[in-house]
Amino acid sequence: MVDQPDRAATPIDWEAIERSPEFQALVHRRRRFVIPCTVFFLSWYLGFILLCAYAPDFMGERVYEGLTVGYCLALTQFAMVFILGLWYLRKADAEFDPLAERAIEAYADDEGHPGGRQVKRERVGATSTTVEGV
Amino acid sequence: MSVFAAINVEAVVIFSIVLSITLGVTYWASKRMTGATTFYAAGRQITGLQNGLAISGDYLSAASFLGIAGLIYLYGFDGFLYSIGFLVAFLTVMFLLAERMRNSGKYTIADVLSFRLRERPARTAAAMGTLAVAAFYLIAQMVGAGVLIQALVGIDFSISVILTGAFMLCYVIFGGMLATTWVQIIKAVLLMAGIGVMSIFVLERVGGNPIELFNRAEANTTAESTFSLAPGTFLSSPIDTVSLGLALVLGTAGLPHILMRFFTVPNARAARSSVVWAMFFIGGFYLLTTFIGFGARAVMGQGGVEAAGTGGNLAAPNLALELGGGAGTFGGDLFLAVIAGVAFATILAVVAGLVLSASGAVAHDIWSSIIRKGKDSEKEEVVVARIAAATIGVIAILIAVIGGEGLNVSFMVGLAFAIAASANFPALVLALTWRRFNTVGAVCGVSLGVISAILLIIVSPKVWPGADTVTGSPIGWTLANPGIISIPLGFLGCILGTLLSTERANERSFHELYVRSETGLGAEKALPGH
Repeated sequence: MVDQPDRAATPIDWEAIERSPEFQALVHRRRRFVIPCTVFFLSWYLGFILLCAYAPDFMGERVYEGLTVGYCLALTQFAMVFILGLWYLRKADAEFDPLAERAIEAYADDEGHPGGRQVKRERVGATSTTVEGV
Repeated sequence: MSVFAAINVEAVVIFSIVLSITLGVTYWASKRMTGATTFYAAGRQITGLQNGLAISGDYLSAASFLGIAGLIYLYGFDGFLYSIGFLVAFLTVMFLLAERMRNSGKYTIADVLSFRLRERPARTAAAMGTLAVAAFYLIAQMVGAGVLIQALVGIDFSISVILTGAFMLCYVIFGGMLATTWVQIIKAVLLMAGIGVMSIFVLERVGGNPIELFNRAEANTTAESTFSLAPGTFLSSPIDTVSLGLALVLGTAGLPHILMRFFTVPNARAARSSVVWAMFFIGGFYLLTTFIGFGARAVMGQGGVEAAGTGGNLAAPNLALELGGGAGTFGGDLFLAVIAGVAFATILAVVAGLVLSASGAVAHDIWSSIIRKGKDSEKEEVVVARIAAATIGVIAILIAVIGGEGLNVSFMVGLAFAIAASANFPALVLALTWRRFNTVGAVCGVSLGVISAILLIIVSPKVWPGADTVTGSPIGWTLANPGIISIPLGFLGCILGTLLSTERANERSFHELYVRSETGLGAEKALPGH
């Protein structure tokens, strides 16, 4: 049951969208955020793992009584996940989603027909209430 | 411990409550079953918050709850390392895959590969990757369930496995993804509440001061204990620690039952918010493993090691017994029963998600797309999916019962993560981002990833010539975790396969996949209504 209704229903010029300045702006801005973030979180995480593997004595050093350097660094991993998660969410809602909508403006609609932007906006806006609650 | 010898009445009552609620949900969901989209993707009507909870319920297995608590209790800081890896993995999922999966997929991860590659080989490879991960993970969870229920409730191992399997199949076959989602949500809430209450009790025991927790835990180490606040007691080989760390952070992004959850939300925006919700639930949970693991050491000391069993898996339930007032008291028995019920719900939710993803690989990828070439009806596909789920479930039950308690659970979970990181992850990421990537590359990458991960595990010191032997590997292989070799091999297979083949990548469909995955144009719609 491999049906592809959207491809059959409206001929979409994917290459034209890909070449459009809006799409290029979307991809470039998302990359400018996601690539540095990915490099950062992988480095911070792998740095932590490398310290655990090769410097256990340092990780076992006391900051205050039973609280070790290792546990403090572990807490920074939690903080990193929460902060990057919320930051990406805000960035995507404020910056990437509007760009994506503009890039596919001519086609965007539940039915795949032009002119349905208003509907789309409303639907997206409605789901965003769950987003803000985070 | 005497409470474990006979059937634990309180635990049976709590188990029955968990089962009645989940069966009620399954009945409700079965009335709403309309077709393939409901069966595999709950009609794509799950909200971001609900999906965040369901992802947590799908992901936090008994290995996370009982396994990590036990490792921290026995070895200290090294156990907490797993918590970190399992959590940071969600950044990989969020930045690289969540929204793109939602935008380009339909029911299975093979949909994303076959979008731009030659359908039959690409789908076969992806289905094999899914089935390999699901099989090892599923059998591990079933064995874990048997061991746990036997210890906590006093029901025989084989019967425990069969019972767990029967309920798992009931949720999936009758309720599909809708029932599975709500079972996972209920389990996530129960698990968070359970670990939250336990943490408060532990904190109260140490005078409300978290640092006192570490002080007391350390004061409770004796000469024969392996516990330490510093790393290196459980993971003593540095290169193995790094290898494990890599498999944890990349493996999650290749787990089919987790990725499948992104097909259940209406759009990419909800997929995104669901990952962030999941990060907070899962992060909160793993943060609290501190209180359970170090708390078990602080409260029970070295004296509880024997009762905690292999890998310390029973440390958390024993801690609950102790916190509730000790063995033989009503409070102790009740708290133990509640935690056992939470652990049972935990296993049920995870195995249901796994069976569903495996049935998708068989019915949607192999049967519908490869054998019937898309000519079957939606109705037929759902029937096949149900038969596939039943078959996979029965095979998993049989292997778990025959293999028995001797099957090494942590080895199979490790293998599942290694295969996910080495086979599924490279192929998915490259299919979505690399213009030149082609079918030969996907098939080479997935095959090399699966084969290298399995071979390296087979020759690893803990498995060859037998589990838990001290003689080591006959070929001198010392690495227990294959990730550091098999993940680069998976990528290498994809890249070399692509570059060396004469096949021209299908440029046209890359444009389509690229635009679709980035913008959501043409993505599968949610079912209307409700």
